[in-house]
Amino acid sequence: MTAFRSSAGAPPTDPRERLMGGLLLGCTALAAAAAAAVIGALGLETVRFFADVPLSQFLADLAWTPSAEEPGFGILPLLAGTAQIAGGATVMALPVALVLAVFLEFYAGKRTASVMNAAVAALGSVPAVVYGYFALNFVTPALKGVWPGLEAFNGISACLVVGLMILPTIVVLSREALGAVPRSILRQAVALGATRERAVLRLALPAAWLGVLGSVVLAMTRAVGETMIVTLAAGNPTGVSWNPLEGVRTLTSFLAQASMGDLAPGSIEYGACFAVAAVLLLLTFGMHALGRALVSRGHPDGPGGSRS
Amino acid sequence: MSAPARSRENHRVRRWLRALGGVAAGITLAALGMLAVVLLLNAGRSPDAGISASSGLVSALAGTLWLALLTAVIAVPVGVGAAVYLEEYAPRTRAWRFLASVLTNLAGVPPVVYGIAGLALFVRGMGLGPSILAGGLTLAVLTVPRVVASSRRALASVPESLRWNALGLGATRWQVVRDQVLRAAAPDIVRGCSAALLRAVGAAAPLLIIGAAGFTTFAPASPGDPLTALPTQTFAWTARPQAGFPALAAGASVTLLFVMALIGLVLWDLRRRHGEARR
Repeated sequence: MTAFRSSAGAPPTDPRERLMGGLLLGCTALAAAAAAAVIGALGLETVRFFADVPLSQFLADLAWTPSAEEPGFGILPLLAGTAQIAGGATVMALPVALVLAVFLEFYAGKRTASVMNAAVAALGSVPAVVYGYFALNFVTPALKGVWPGLEAFNGISACLVVGLMILPTIVVLSREALGAVPRSILRQAVALGATRERAVLRLALPAAWLGVLGSVVLAMTRAVGETMIVTLAAGNPTGVSWNPLEGVRTLTSFLAQASMGDLAPGSIEYGACFAVAAVLLLLTFGMHALGRALVSRGHPDGPGGSRS
Repeated sequence: MSAPARSRENHRVRRWLRALGGVAAGITLAALGMLAVVLLLNAGRSPDAGISASSGLVSALAGTLWLALLTAVIAVPVGVGAAVYLEEYAPRTRAWRFLASVLTNLAGVPPVVYGIAGLALFVRGMGLGPSILAGGLTLAVLTVPRVVASSRRALASVPESLRWNALGLGATRWQVVRDQVLRAAAPDIVRGCSAALLRAVGAAAPLLIIGAAGFTTFAPASPGDPLTALPTQTFAWTARPQAGFPALAAGASVTLLFVMALIGLVLWDLRRRHGEARR
């Protein structure tokens, strides 16, 4: 690869070559400028926020109430809420998604596989706000039939529906990881007397497990960033509760709720939103990088794979 | 374990695997089916006359089409161009790799964060206010990293030999990229762009943050008009508990899904025809 890039060490003399190279470089510059503007805007307001609120309070305070008389600026309650939703959603989605991925990759017939592919793709393209509607108007009332003590805004309904939303991510990427295991190895195992089940469970699954783990990390990244389902279904409580029948407030749902009021620029609440957004940026950026690294480990042709 | 016992055991494992797979498939299909039934049943109920008189979808629909257009026109060329440069032109120095990884991993940052950035950059910084243009720019900025990430993957999966063979036959660098690499990667690039674009069309959170209106009296006719869109309209109606609004919200959801399906169909057709013409 390096050679292909450096093969044009001398600048091309053809004007067309120069023009296209310049245009593509311009696109890269624009994309980089947009990224820098996003990171810069969040960073600037966050730095201003930390001039008013000490970092120690942000990290150690046990209440997040920016608009109260005596405001609390501790990020921990919001992080706890996000962990609850992302963790709960993953626990709900993982077994179903993993079984489905193995089933579709190794067992399902052609017709079943194509129907299920379409269904998974459909689930993956439903907008979050529509899922939020589903959670609030169907899942919560249905769950109320099981637990009459369920609050109107609760964590369990949000977890279930966020789990449904991230299911396609796990299914699709885990299948890719399983599909990347060379078929010849599996055939050799069967030729040596292993059954199909052994080849799948003892050979393919362990060989693909980094990719599967990566798919779970990427799915959790989406769950951490999920805003609309949580805002609509889990309410906006100020306290922290680990009871799934009660409401949950996450980093994202705080942002959505805060923006519905009037945010005066320069106010402490305005700065608090940027600080929360910066935390979300760091968290999801890191999780995405980790997930992608894991996924491309099991994939020889992805960026970060053999070519780079 | 004796041979017959092992064989029985394996039969049991196989039966269990198949049954589990069937259950997982059933759960997935049932969830999708319930979603569809709930939406269609609720959308079919007529809301009270008093509400329905003031709640059309025309302005939200026009807003969403504007936003889709702005996002596509800005994000697709910039994102694909940047991906081509990063994969095919940029030297593999540490600085370029850093930039490529930042742009790629920004794809994992949730839309709501871009909404906050858009509030500072476009609504306040550039003084655009909560307009269609500010919304379109925000969606474009959040779509670019997704396009870069998927296009980079598509370009990286083109076999290296294709580039060397074309170079060896005397093609220039741009000719290699245009005639060989882009042609081979086109289906995957278009697929990635469609997914990113549809995600942007369905995004409610960033538009909500930068101040989309839940109630407008006229359809936006230019990018300077107040921001309104189907996802935010769906949210505004879903968040109102009064009777009648669930029906409206379901109607808005179905309309949104319909618009997305239509856009997806157009892009799918483009991909199909493109692929055929090129082969």
